[in-house]
Amino acid sequence: MAESTPRKFTRRTFLGWQIAVLLTSTVIVGLAPIVVFLLPAPPKGQKKGPLSVSLPKSINELADGDVIKFDAPTTPNSAFLMADGGGDNAPGDLAFGGFVVKSEGKLNVLAINCSHLGCSVALNQDARTFDCPCHGSRFHLDGNVLHGPAAYPLSHLTWAKGKDANTIDVDGIVLGF
Amino acid sequence: MAIPHPREIQVAVVEWLDERYPFTKAVDEALYQRVPNFANAFYYCFGGMVFILVVLQLLTGILLSLYYVPDAGGNPAAAYSSVNFIQNSVYLGWLIRGVHFWGANLLIIMVLLHMARVYWTGSYRAPRELNWMVGVTMLLLILAFSLTGYLLPWDTKAYFATQVTIKIAGGVPPQQLGAFIRDILQGGSVVGPPTLQRFFTIHVFLLPAVIVLLMYVHFRFIRAHGISEPL
Repeated sequence: MAESTPRKFTRRTFLGWQIAVLLTSTVIVGLAPIVVFLLPAPPKGQKKGPLSVSLPKSINELADGDVIKFDAPTTPNSAFLMADGGGDNAPGDLAFGGFVVKSEGKLNVLAINCSHLGCSVALNQDARTFDCPCHGSRFHLDGNVLHGPAAYPLSHLTWAKGKDANTIDVDGIVLGF
Repeated sequence: MAIPHPREIQVAVVEWLDERYPFTKAVDEALYQRVPNFANAFYYCFGGMVFILVVLQLLTGILLSLYYVPDAGGNPAAAYSSVNFIQNSVYLGWLIRGVHFWGANLLIIMVLLHMARVYWTGSYRAPRELNWMVGVTMLLLILAFSLTGYLLPWDTKAYFATQVTIKIAGGVPPQQLGAFIRDILQGGSVVGPPTLQRFFTIHVFLLPAVIVLLMYVHFRFIRAHGISEPL
């Protein structure tokens, strides 16, 4: 077959291609619904909006250097959305916890995730810093980096005063799963 | 430039494969069997239809298992919620579950028709008795598939239907044997989460493995005996 002269587009060639196309389209028609079935279904009840968070202490009573840790509501399962971020964090990324911090007279709400690789930072009670347990990054209470490997400050959460002084409304998302 | 005929591509692929294992010979032996004229009647196709339906059941079953959660704990139970999710949220989930459901019903009809044909044409007689026995075993396996699959949606109908069937199985005399069978099936004192777990494992792991093996045996027997002559 290889040494024969180049084929012309004969009736037989046409029929061969026709069968190939027919079989291929049959297979595609059979497989397409399966591929569609495999696509992730949209989570039911997923909804962006402010999440109400109760704090153990009124935000008006916070002294300079005070830190309150809070978690995202779990009923329904929710997460906060970061307002900004660098490194591993980006605006719109999910955070499952955060801190209300009063530092140098300013009230900040920070996401819990380290900007290096996203581990949850913890308050260092004695040094009054946020320390990351994974690779030892340290942050000032205002979120700025004190020590690497993190290169970017902690992300902020968008928030507003809630219905009373013990409540804040933080931008987030009800996950729907 | 010459347009390559699909055949040339096909030949190149087949030649590459044949140099490594005699696939052409194996496929020829499997495919190029003379079909006697008497076997061209439509009722000789019932067995093949059963085979296609079983393949369809395996395929849709694997797809359903991607979303199904065999957990009867909680209210509503995750098992029920996941079936609800397949039916109402997953893209084309209603289609895949529908094919599985109706395929299961059709399968039993086709198995019975196939069995009736084999009986009608006397194909169960010597030397084919063993294949009849394998076939009857597979009929029972398919009924076991139906029984165990019926519980999996974990809705009220499934729950009480299974309670009834387990009660029937538990009625085997003597009383101690019946109680033993009931406890083994139920996995507890009532139909509950352990029952669902057992039925799920039987439906998804045990029965498919056994039926695929027996189908292979069934087909080898047919090849060994050939299609039986009409009466």
